[in-house]
Amino acid sequence: MRKGLLAGLALLLMLGVASAAWAGGTIKLAVMEPLSGTFKDIGDRYLEGVQYAAEVLNAKGGINGMKVEVIPVDSELKPAIATRKATKLIMKDGVKYFCGGTGSSVGGAMVQLAKTQNALFFTYGMAAASLTGAKCSSNFFRACANTDNQSYALAVWVAQKGFKKVFCLAQDYSFGKEAVAAFTKKLAELNPQAKVVGTALHPIGTKDFAPYVSQIISSGAEVVFTSNWGSDLTLLLKQAKPLGLKAKFACYYLNDDNAITAIANDDAVLGSQAVEEYMLTIPGKANEEFIAGFKKAKGFYPTWLRGKAYLATMFWAEAVKKAGSDKVDAVIKAWEGLTYDGPAGKWTMRACDHQALMPMWTATIVAKNPFFKHAYVGPATMVPSEKVQVPCKDTGCKGFK
Amino acid sequence: MGEAAVFFLHGLAYAGLLFLVSSGLTLVFGMMNVLNFAHASFYMLGAYFAYSILRFTGNFWLALVISPIILLVIGAFVERFLLRKVHVHGHVHELLLTFGLAYIIQEAVKLLWGTTPMAMPVAGILADTVNLFGVVYPVYRLFIFCLSALLGLGMALVLFKTRIGIIVRAAVDDSPMVDALGINVPLVFMGVFAVGAALSGFAGVAAGPLLSVFPGMAGSILVDAFVVIVMGGMGSLGGAVLASFIIGELQSFGVLLFPDFSLALIYMLMALVLVLKPEGLFGEKQ
Repeated sequence: MRKGLLAGLALLLMLGVASAAWAGGTIKLAVMEPLSGTFKDIGDRYLEGVQYAAEVLNAKGGINGMKVEVIPVDSELKPAIATRKATKLIMKDGVKYFCGGTGSSVGGAMVQLAKTQNALFFTYGMAAASLTGAKCSSNFFRACANTDNQSYALAVWVAQKGFKKVFCLAQDYSFGKEAVAAFTKKLAELNPQAKVVGTALHPIGTKDFAPYVSQIISSGAEVVFTSNWGSDLTLLLKQAKPLGLKAKFACYYLNDDNAITAIANDDAVLGSQAVEEYMLTIPGKANEEFIAGFKKAKGFYPTWLRGKAYLATMFWAEAVKKAGSDKVDAVIKAWEGLTYDGPAGKWTMRACDHQALMPMWTATIVAKNPFFKHAYVGPATMVPSEKVQVPCKDTGCKGFK
Repeated sequence: MGEAAVFFLHGLAYAGLLFLVSSGLTLVFGMMNVLNFAHASFYMLGAYFAYSILRFTGNFWLALVISPIILLVIGAFVERFLLRKVHVHGHVHELLLTFGLAYIIQEAVKLLWGTTPMAMPVAGILADTVNLFGVVYPVYRLFIFCLSALLGLGMALVLFKTRIGIIVRAAVDDSPMVDALGINVPLVFMGVFAVGAALSGFAGVAAGPLLSVFPGMAGSILVDAFVVIVMGGMGSLGGAVLASFIIGELQSFGVLLFPDFSLALIYMLMALVLVLKPEGLFGEKQ
């Protein structure tokens, strides 16, 4: 009897302690990702990054004593469905913070919803420049690179290497065209001697790249710029090598172990260049500790999307911490101009368009690496933030209404 | 000259793949009057089976034999237990059934193999290149063309030169009469459907190493296959050969000559064919 009473008391005490630890309550963060369907694999990886960030934050006592609760939401990659689910979360569960990285159309709809409901939406992956350009909003923050940053960083690499003949290959829609335009503009600035010897836009989901590869070969290009993603990236690289293409690729999305395994031919990727704001090979203690902690907790590496989502979530947490409350207006104000010094260098949230200024990292694909048996990115080199930014006056963001 | 030859080879290889996919579709339509929407899904299954076989045995040739056999069995099963049941209700029911089947296969594939694209690396001679009249060309692309030519030839021989072919064609023309002669007509149709599925299996195996294996591969090839059989004439094997060749070459040379509308070119040609000859190049007038 006494024992039971004691145990009961102990239990009560523990419960008391547990609730005392979260005296600040909880702060809910809804993650809008495709968690089913064709792009499930992308959504899953982003979610893993956000979840790990929450684990790290909660292990240190949360944000200002508030427990971070991650709510995974399947956006199904459909704007109408994403906003319907988000509205329900806002109305019924009082969720005020949302993030997502997949699908600029979902992003556009979420930005609008965040504005009308006075919630906050941030992205760690939506790269369309217009989200912080013509469509910019006070309630939206981009804590990742945009297309301009990525194209500029690759242009810096191509210019530094002194390549004279460049071929641009991209998917035939707004994203591909914007990426090529930004790249060629920056390259012309940096190295007027470099010549774009050919540009080809192909339909999304092209199956046979042979005709394009032959075109590249006959153009005599030394390097190929491509913003392709998904099968348009893997099939291009996979098919180019056997057809005899010697030129290397400067790629938006080669910092991806899944893409490299899908190509399944190390020779086809070795020597090509990847660019991203986060890579496993970024030097420094902060990144080493992050990778070790993540690997220990999850059993695999925080590659690409996972790292991006983690960093952006930590950046958001810094803003909430600085705000000292979970009120959206306070967090917006706190995030503007805030600097976060994390595993990928110093990031600063610009107030004029809510685009984070960050260094970009580029790396050459090498055979030997400490992470995988297959080829992967080698040591990362920093392209300073100043070299890859678009000045406030040129973004197209005419101030927040 | 050298460049034109390379683009011609590109076109030929892609035409080979198109024919592999569309031949089974047009065969089933021509013989059974069933428009099989699940055909591209069979193709995808063929690729996934081949992927798994290759993974466990490391032998591509084994995958090339076994995967189509599995599809043959699946095809026979689908005809016997599903299609035959709805046949009496007419074409719309058959169409809806195969449509639903395509969705089920799509989801099943995601469940079993996941959504990540997977590679099917080939080794040995298939991974090599060959010097063809001064042009260095990957063996695998030539292999696709040869496989396609071989299967096409085999199909033509069986259909037009053997007793089985006579029975099949007779069953198409006048099934009550063939039935009266003591031939098991439903069995014949089951066989035709199963062979159609097996052909898509061959296509899937052949496509795997070139195009990777992923859940979207069915959708991405279905439209192309329909363009081929509509242009060539629904149900005509010869039409499928010609249309595959035209589309393959057009796609390849289109990129070289008219880069801004190479995709539109194919649909423009299809529209032109349909205006001038609504039944398709080799189609029969209804």
